[in-house]
Amino acid sequence: MFASRTSLRTADVVVRAAIVALALATGYIHYTLGGLLFTLNAVGYAVAAVSMIVPLALAVRFRWIVRIGLIGYAATAIVMWAVQGPYYSTAYVAKAIEVALIVLLAIDFARHDGSPIAVVRRELAAFTNLVARRGTAAAGA
Amino acid sequence: MKRLTLTLGLLTLAAVLAACSGASAAPESTTTPPAGGPSGAAVTVVAKDLKFVQTAMSVKSGSAFAIDFDNKDGAPHNVAISDASGASVFKGEIVSSKQVTYQVPALAAGTYKFICEVHPDMKGTITAQ
Repeated sequence: MFASRTSLRTADVVVRAAIVALALATGYIHYTLGGLLFTLNAVGYAVAAVSMIVPLALAVRFRWIVRIGLIGYAATAIVMWAVQGPYYSTAYVAKAIEVALIVLLAIDFARHDGSPIAVVRRELAAFTNLVARRGTAAAGA
Repeated sequence: MKRLTLTLGLLTLAAVLAACSGASAAPESTTTPPAGGPSGAAVTVVAKDLKFVQTAMSVKSGSAFAIDFDNKDGAPHNVAISDASGASVFKGEIVSSKQVTYQVPALAAGTYKFICEVHPDMKGTITAQ
């Protein structure tokens, strides 16, 4: 269930720690704003931060989904804010954090997963293998 | 393994839905008696528990007036006024746990809406007469 230790380089650890810190920071800012929407937003960032470091084998295997998901989540938050505001100091700080978060996630993705197209191909191949194996197992039963 | 995958998937979905939703489901404030009067004097607006205590105000049309805004929440709030067409006519500074006085320019006779820009579910009406 738990993933075996992987040899993360110092730079990887720094990037990962920064991602977690930024996600928790913007989550905290949203939490302080009060109300259901902002609280849910904060919970989302907290869940994503944990998902970025939790040593579960499944989480490690699909960390690329967490990275993409968190990039989309932060980008959505920025777009929603750009559309409806409000534009004041705390909001600018939160959005700057989210922009930095997206940049670091993109770096982390590139370092660990490479090209998004390669990831899609790899996952499609893995899925095809899984289906083929299940088909063979069903035929043999 | 499948259960864990499903759980992670549901958590991610919930998080994305939270980011995408446009407004919270907080109940609308109940109407309270109008604050202030049509004298052009200052009116008081209190924000507490993510609601405006005063949801209806009456002011004198054609005269600038002041809003004594008391935000009793730790969460940031302000008072932003828009006319019937939705055009903004005034935006107060966003403050937390603080009292401020907004100087609002004269309003033409009519009904206006005021909201907190951070929490658009917080709203009320201003009648200029």
